[in-house]
Amino acid sequence: MSGLAELAELAGLPYRRGAQGELWAECPEADFTVKARELATRALLSDLFACGHGTRRSLMAVFSTIGDSAWLVLRTDLSEDHFHSLTEAVHAASWYEREIAEMFGIRPEGHPAPQPLRLHDWPHRYHPMRDDLSDMKSLPAGHGDRVPKVRGQGVFQLPLGPVRSGPQESAEFLFNSGGEDLVMVSPRFGYKMRLVERLAEGLSVEQALIHAERLAGISTYSNALAFVQAAERAAGVDVGRDVNRARSVLNELERLHHHFGHLGRVADSTGLTVAAAQYAALKEEVLRACAELTGHRYLRGILAFGGLSQRLTAAGQDHLAEALPHWEVTSHRLEALLEDTATFIDRLDGTAVLLTEYAAQHNLLGPIGRSTGADRDCRRDHPYACYKDLRFDVLVKSQGDALARVRIVLFEVSQSLRIVQQILEDWPDAEPAGIAEVRGGSAFGWAEAPGGEALHFVQLDDGGRIQRWRARPPAVVNWHPYAHACASGNNLTDYPVIEASFGISHAEFDR
Amino acid sequence: MSRWVLRGLASGIKTTSYPKSPDPGASNAPAAIELNVGALSPELAIETARICPTEAITIQGDASTGSLQFDMGQCVLCGRCVRKAPEAFAYRRAPEVAVRRRRSLETTVSWRDGRIANVAPPNEPADALDKAAELRQRAHRLFGRSLHLRHVDAGSCNGCESELQLLTTPYYDLARLGVFFTPTPRHADGLLVTGVVTRQMHQALIATYEAVPEPKLVIAAGVCAIGGGCFANGPTTHGPLDSILPVDVYVPGCPPSPSALIHGLLLATSKAEERYRPGGASGGA
Repeated sequence: MSGLAELAELAGLPYRRGAQGELWAECPEADFTVKARELATRALLSDLFACGHGTRRSLMAVFSTIGDSAWLVLRTDLSEDHFHSLTEAVHAASWYEREIAEMFGIRPEGHPAPQPLRLHDWPHRYHPMRDDLSDMKSLPAGHGDRVPKVRGQGVFQLPLGPVRSGPQESAEFLFNSGGEDLVMVSPRFGYKMRLVERLAEGLSVEQALIHAERLAGISTYSNALAFVQAAERAAGVDVGRDVNRARSVLNELERLHHHFGHLGRVADSTGLTVAAAQYAALKEEVLRACAELTGHRYLRGILAFGGLSQRLTAAGQDHLAEALPHWEVTSHRLEALLEDTATFIDRLDGTAVLLTEYAAQHNLLGPIGRSTGADRDCRRDHPYACYKDLRFDVLVKSQGDALARVRIVLFEVSQSLRIVQQILEDWPDAEPAGIAEVRGGSAFGWAEAPGGEALHFVQLDDGGRIQRWRARPPAVVNWHPYAHACASGNNLTDYPVIEASFGISHAEFDR
Repeated sequence: MSRWVLRGLASGIKTTSYPKSPDPGASNAPAAIELNVGALSPELAIETARICPTEAITIQGDASTGSLQFDMGQCVLCGRCVRKAPEAFAYRRAPEVAVRRRRSLETTVSWRDGRIANVAPPNEPADALDKAAELRQRAHRLFGRSLHLRHVDAGSCNGCESELQLLTTPYYDLARLGVFFTPTPRHADGLLVTGVVTRQMHQALIATYEAVPEPKLVIAAGVCAIGGGCFANGPTTHGPLDSILPVDVYVPGCPPSPSALIHGLLLATSKAEERYRPGGASGGA
């Protein structure tokens, strides 16, 4: 019996087995919060979301544990437009509940801070995931929002954004400062909200894949992979070994270009222009290898339901085999130089610390989670594609500062190169996908995106069209403790380093 | 610190020769789609319109009498049409795809009695051409030597930002062409806008545009800003950009590659020529 099955039984929850590796437990509406709290004491809350329109609405909470590759889904049908909030007991539920409230109009009773998360310029009675889309084009002006503000002698508020300096994503950060010290940072999100999930409703899986690939540019592939795997699991499609190996190598190439870009921005924020240029050059080289292999620099259009849309090119394979040793040598040299550059290490050491206990309450993901002691990597914990057959290590640190985050990213680069090498030694010959039959059903799909675990839920109707798609990319989880990390005794001049060291996507969060 | 300098010198010159000469290393990814009208049949047209996920290919009429509209400003380069009908839809790999007018990204092919009849050429009145040439000269005089742009992300997926960030790095080094990104709109000669223009970015975009002193350019980069792509009819989508601001140059692509962006920037300052014809080299428009 797996750990999660035991937990469900301890909580007195009868469960059934869904798609492979999923345990589904139903409970009455009144028990939902109590049961979810009970499960959350022994397992991690991985997602909490609402489904459905009109009168047929439901809530789902997803749990996972370390050491068990399964997911436990707690589901309840809602008859009212409110439920009892989990947040007081389970801090990780806070932003999920705020999202449910603003998107579906389902109120979390007893939430300590229930203001909208992303809809800061939006009339309160409209809920984008619930209401008719055609009405929304001509909405009246929004109500505005109240942003937390620090009061005190000499404390002022300084806005940064939404239009930033240089080619960057739009988001707003309100600094509360007394002059030098960063007292509090209040992020305002939602400037980029395109309602990707809602727009995909009613589409076929093949069409919705276009949307999944455009959730976020630099994590295009991992989000699309999580999405398409969810649809395949719902239909019971097995793609086979070759496709799985091909999908894994692409997953690692995306991690490489993302991480090189990320390291370049961190180096830039500390004033190391040569290092920034070197990492940017590496990123460009990985993007070119991706283009050679699949015809797209960001790996768009290569995934298909049931496999890949085309073969990986032989020229791309040769290009990759040639480039890999160069990437290895260069990134190794750069890492050694960075570790030996005192100005770099000093700027990162002790900057924007996330305490392990605080971080654990948020179930943080990816390099940010692993820098705060969270030993999680869904390539290892919930093996997908061909990660079971691959050798790689996962580094965990407990300092939780910018330096720990950067060291984990540096380590992951070496592991991704190692994985690409392993797949090059036994290169997959994946045929383009045939027409696989899409069936009705629902399932979860996941992939380790560069920023952490991406968990997607897909519900298909009998005709194979999307009824509900819930995307929970890592940014949704990882922005949560950001304000806390900024307020850990940093100066205004640390801010570029803080933001670069987190390196979280806004497009993934706003969706 | 000196070791960093040595490290930088040791890696040699990486910068592309583009636009002086084509860069074979940079241009292997498709930049646009071109129609080969000679190989198109009404049946193929209807079939490809059915599988096009973003309404870049649309059909009017039926197999006997009708027309196909192709719009590169809506195409996300998913490649479904190319895989379905490689003889009629081909990738353009050369990066010169930016155009000055929205209509230059569109083409129409019509048929009668099941046979392809004609390809509509763009109808351009002669005096409009003169006026356009005059404006171009003026843009070249004003911005030809140095163009400072303010970037605005009006709701993108961050793919366009990723490519824009690469423009200032060793492989592309935009500064060698006299183009710079500036942090403030008040020092800018124009805006480079990416994304669909969401409800919540609408006001910020207009405020940024108004802060740029006259005369000013607007460049729409990426399909989201041009036609909206797969988000065209979204409830939070206020774009396309040219319904909000006057646009001078359109750079299609999802995202447009750095080379395509370079061509767009040079086109804006009249240092490059329009090259892209959606109807292909053989087919009129």
